[in-house]
Parts: sequence; C-alpha cells; structure tokens
Amino acid sequence: MPDVVSLNSAPTKPVLPKPFAPEDESALREALKRCSPSTFEAAVQFRKTSNPDHVPAVVIGVIERFVEPDLRIKLKEADDDLRLIEDLGIDSLTMMEIVILVEDVLQMTINNDELRHLRTVGDVKTFIDCKIRGLTLPKPTKFIPIEHIGAVMPTQPPFLFLNEASVSSTSASGKYKISGQEFFLQGHFKDNPVMPASIMLEALGQLAVLYLLEGAPTEPGKAVSPQMIFFTGCEGVRAHRICKPGDVLSLSIKPKRMKMPLATFEGSIRVGKEKAIIAEEITLTFGFVDAVNAPVAIESNVETAAKLPAAGETAADSLPLRVAINA
Amino acid sequence: MPRVFITGLGFVTSIGNDRPAVTQSLRELRHGFELYPPFLKPEIPVKVVGTIKEFSTNSPDPEDWTFPNRYKIKRELLRSMAPNGLFAHCAMLQAVADANLSEADVSNPGTGLYAASGGSPYLTHHHHERLQKMGVMRCSPLGIVASIVGTLNFNLVAAFKIRGASCGFSSACASSAHAIGFALDDLMLGRQNRMFIVGAEDGNADAILPFAGMRTLSLQTDPNIASRPFDAARDGFVGTGGASVLVLETEAEVLRRGVRPYAELIGWGQASDGYNVAISHPDGGGSAAAMNLALHAARVNPSEVDYVNAHATSTLIGDISEARALRSVFKESLNQVAVSSTKALTGHGLSLAGAMESAFCALALRDGFLPGNAHLTKVDPECAGLNLPTSTVSQPINIVVKNSSGFGGANVALVFKRAL
Repeated sequence: MPDVVSLNSAPTKPVLPKPFAPEDESALREALKRCSPSTFEAAVQFRKTSNPDHVPAVVIGVIERFVEPDLRIKLKEADDDLRLIEDLGIDSLTMMEIVILVEDVLQMTINNDELRHLRTVGDVKTFIDCKIRGLTLPKPTKFIPIEHIGAVMPTQPPFLFLNEASVSSTSASGKYKISGQEFFLQGHFKDNPVMPASIMLEALGQLAVLYLLEGAPTEPGKAVSPQMIFFTGCEGVRAHRICKPGDVLSLSIKPKRMKMPLATFEGSIRVGKEKAIIAEEITLTFGFVDAVNAPVAIESNVETAAKLPAAGETAADSLPLRVAINA
Repeated sequence: MPRVFITGLGFVTSIGNDRPAVTQSLRELRHGFELYPPFLKPEIPVKVVGTIKEFSTNSPDPEDWTFPNRYKIKRELLRSMAPNGLFAHCAMLQAVADANLSEADVSNPGTGLYAASGGSPYLTHHHHERLQKMGVMRCSPLGIVASIVGTLNFNLVAAFKIRGASCGFSSACASSAHAIGFALDDLMLGRQNRMFIVGAEDGNADAILPFAGMRTLSLQTDPNIASRPFDAARDGFVGTGGASVLVLETEAEVLRRGVRPYAELIGWGQASDGYNVAISHPDGGGSAAAMNLALHAARVNPSEVDYVNAHATSTLIGDISEARALRSVFKESLNQVAVSSTKALTGHGLSLAGAMESAFCALALRDGFLPGNAHLTKVDPECAGLNLPTSTVSQPINIVVKNSSGFGGANVALVFKRAL
C-alpha cells in the first residue's frame, strides 16, 4: 500500500481561522441550511473557538444531510464502522459534495488523494480531526477480504471464523455468518445447533490476531510474526444472546494496552442491534521478527491475493476456504 | 422500411402540465402568458413570458425547487438537473405512463433517447460565479452536468436507464425537430425500435433575456396580445420554457404492445439557408426546400396537406420568410391548407419548440381538430394568401406538416399522418 506512505508523510499544518464575523455566521447558516440546528451550532462554536471537540458533530451533520432520508437512522446509531459506500449509499460525487461543504464550513482544504482512503464514518472523523489538530494521519481503515484473511492468518478453515474484516490502526471489525455447516454444531447441541460461546470468543481472538498482523503499529524494521501470537487470558466475558445458524456475527475489537509481549483488547459481538457477547479483556502474546525476515511465503500470497482480480479462484482452491468464502 | 408511430406524449408547458390541460388550451385557444415577476424591474423592457405553473425553479439549488407532489424525485437525481431537466423528467414520466411502457420497454438496447435544450445559462452563470468567488476546487462537482448543453440527455439517460442511442441536438430553435427527424431515420433503418424525443428549456430570465439584445423579443406589456404570429402589429416573440416528450415506436412494437398510436410520422426533410447567422432568408428558400424534401420523403403531394403548424414566432422577419416559403411549396393549393402558429398560445420554446409543437400535431391528428391562430386580428399584408383560421376547427385531419427553423438558417420539416 504505497499510498499510505504519502498520507503519513508530513503532519499537516494546524488551521488558523480568521476572526468570526457576523457575516460569516449568516454565510454559515446559509451553507448549513439543510443540516440539523446542532450541526450549525457546532460549526459556529468551532469557528469561534477553534476547539476541535466540535468537529465530529459538524462532520456527522454534513454527512447526514447528504444521506438519503431513510438511511439517516443508521447515523443516529453512531458507530464509526459504518461504511460510506456500502452502508450509507454515498457515491464519489456525493463524497465531493460532502468535502466541499466541510471545507467551506471548517475553512480547510482537503486534497483528492487524501479522500481515497476514507471508507468509514470513523475514518472521516479521524481524518478531519487530525487535519484540524495538525496531527499525523493514522493508517486508514483497510478492508480485508476472505482471500487475504486466509492468506495472512495462522488459523485456517475449518477453524477460521471471519468472512471479512476491516482493520485500522485503532480498531478492527469483522463479520462471520454462522453457516450451520460448522463441524462442532453437530454435537453442540444434540438436534439444537448453537454457536459455542467459547468459539465466539475464539472469533474475537482471531480478529485481534488480524489486527496485530495488519493494523497494529510496529517498531521500525519489525513485523509481528504470525507464528508467535498466542492466547493468554480473558476477563469479564458475558454472553447475552444465543446465536444460531443464519445469524451474522458483527465482531469488533479495540486495543486497550500494547506492550511487548502482551496486547490487550476489548471485544464485542453483535447480531444486528442485539448484543451477543462482550469481553472486557482478551490478552494475546506476540513477538516481532525483522521485517526483511518476515515469512516470505505468506507475504507473497498476500501480494497475489491482493493483485489478481481472480484471486478468489486461486486462493480458494482448498475446499474449507471456499466454504468460508461462500458463507 | 418499418412505419413509425407516436405512442406517448408528456407535457410541462405554459399552456398545461398534462395532456388533457394542453388539449383544452389548444382547442379553446387559451394562452399561457403572464407578466413575469423577474422582468418587473424598470430597466428590463421585456415583460411577458409563457410561464410554467406549479413549478418553482428560481434557485440554483435544486433542493429549493418545488414541483407537484405527484412527482417523486430523489435528491440523487435532482442534484444534477437544470430547471429544464426537472421539467423534462416530469414530462418523461408522463410519456412513459401514456405509452404504457414497462421498465423493460424503457431500458433495453433497442430504446434510445434524443434530447434538445439550450443547456442552462442560469446554472452556468451560477457555477462560474462560484468558481470565481470561492475558488476552483469549491465548484459543485455536478455543476458541469447540470448546466452544459447536453444536461438534458445526460440526466435522462441515467435516470431512466436508457441503453440505446442517445445524444443531444443543438440547432437552436430547430433542435428538437432535428431530434425527431434523426430518430425517424434510426427507427426506419432498424437501428432502434423505440425512441424518446425530449425538448426542454429553462424559460427563465437567463434563457430569454439575451434575445433582447437582438431586438427579437416582444416588448408588449399585455399578455393577451404579446404573441401574435402573422399579425401586422406583432413586435417579436415571447419566451417560454418547459418540456415535451414524444415516444416514437416502430409498427412492430405498436402491434406487439397493442397500443393505440396518436399519429404516424411519415417523413422529414432539412435544408439550410446559407445566408445569415441569425436572420432567416427573406425568401424562405431553406424552409421551402425542407418542406419539399419532407413531402417527397413522405410521398405526399402538397395538395394532400390539411394543416401546417408553422414555426412563426411572431418576429417581423421570420413570419414573412415562412409565409413566402409556404407560398412557394403549396402554390395553387395554398388556400386549402390551414396554417397556424401555436406560439401565439405558448410563446417560443426555442430548443423545445419542435418537440412541443409536434406533440400538439399528434393531439390534433388523434382528436380531430386544428388549433386556430390566437390573437390574430389583422393579417400582415406580407403574409396574405395564407389560410389562417382564427378559431379552432374541429374536423378530422389526415396530413400535417410541422416547420421548425433555427439560427444559422437551419430548417426542418416533419410530416405526420393520422393513424387509422
């Protein structure tokens, strides 16, 4: 991902707004006339005080204004993993409309190449926030399809419980649909297939592994070794809902602490809006290897899977992986 | 070669926003003129416009527009439209329903769309001003497709998922007549089996006022006499906007779908004056040549023509030029062919005119009437000899010729026939 480098290169300069005049307020009111009153208020506060705490409300308010009314409810539920294109129906032209209005309202400039990496509402919020504060931009959220997951993960089917995942430097989310074909459901339970809570915990652990491999900040010249990640413990696990074949598990994890050789995450699984399981802490051990000595075979698989459009066919030659793709 | 029929119509015009209203206005010679509020300023000498009722588009932001709530249009579609695009979208919905077309009938490789509008000078102005004031990168990403001349076809082709031929025509006031002519060719050559023809104009101050510089607009302040083609006291045209849509289909499609057509389109012709950039040839040579070619293509003798829907816009030079062209084409049968200009009712729709007036001809052929010349009290002696009925005549008519002429001396004639 060479594009990421350019994004991370130089910190952008903090914005120094001009004093906020009454005519600015009326221009702002006109620009935001189709946004909620709270969006306008947040914009006024930001322009008067330059306090970046007001930025998320402005950004969400502007996005909301450009989303079809029947989809706006999704924004109210406010999760940062909402995808702009897939979940909110925002096309690239609408994205430009959003950008122009945000630029206008927050008095900032956004370049085209900075936009290409913004996939989720959270990405947009973080991006704008970093620009305003003059911070280095984090790695953008990366969508990881099943072929790539299969290529990088030490875990493999039939013991891989991720169909797709998105990983950023601050969190990871994933989906797994319980197909009903999982081998352990034959016995868990008799004539009553229920996803074991221990396996759901395993799925969260796998997402944390993927985060360590694909999203976690590393030391210069080092990479996390897939062979060196193991489970060490978990705390505060509670199951809230029985999950059965057909349910789509929405998994998310966030790192709480990372200090070699331990990484601790909080994690949760939802089915639709319903809480299924939460874990206050899941801890893994991990280890670095020199980046140049990173496992070559796996890396080259990654390259292949990412480059070839037909990678699904080649990478998925093994039956279990194909099952996982089709799930 | 396949025969081609008109099977659906849609209207957003100064004289009505659906077929029944338009038919009634044509029969009763009710005009659509009003004193236009943006022209009330004393420094604007032009006062009267053929206004579009029920629609308000006097904002550069389409989300400010209002239109009848029987039309549901998503922001996603609306945001790239000019006012003429909104009018046309609504007229398209009418035409699709009128022709009883399914989604599959509209979106397939055999169905195309030809459109004509002058673009949107109003939005062009707005977006350029924004570019100058706010900077290049703060221009609306949809400013171009909402305002340049192809805006109509871009928007409609995407919104209605048209997959056959599509393009825009730009010959000023002959544009949508050209679109009909070339659509007829495509249908006769078997390239398409159904074509939508769309003409539309904003009809607002930015679209109309530039013609004042040419001194071609009527300065009348009385809406009842501002547009009077062929009248000795005429003083220029009255501008209008809106949209009209025609659905053209091959005979095979008409039979397959079992629909009753309005009329048959049996031929067309075009010829140019080669004379002046804006003034029509005083002898009407190009217009006469277009009519002769159209009648020849339609295999119709001039004496068989019942009615000519004239281009006559109520300008001093243009009406005389067309009268001379009619004289040279119809010769001894001149007094048998009824001639009228419905621009006396609608005003001049520029790119829209050819499609709108062809749709009027389709109504006249199906319903059996020919609209009279409204507001005509004293025929200009230069137009003497023409049969210019001053009231609408209810009688079955068989063959109709529609004339259109545009800048650069472009002339088009279309020939329609009653569908039996």
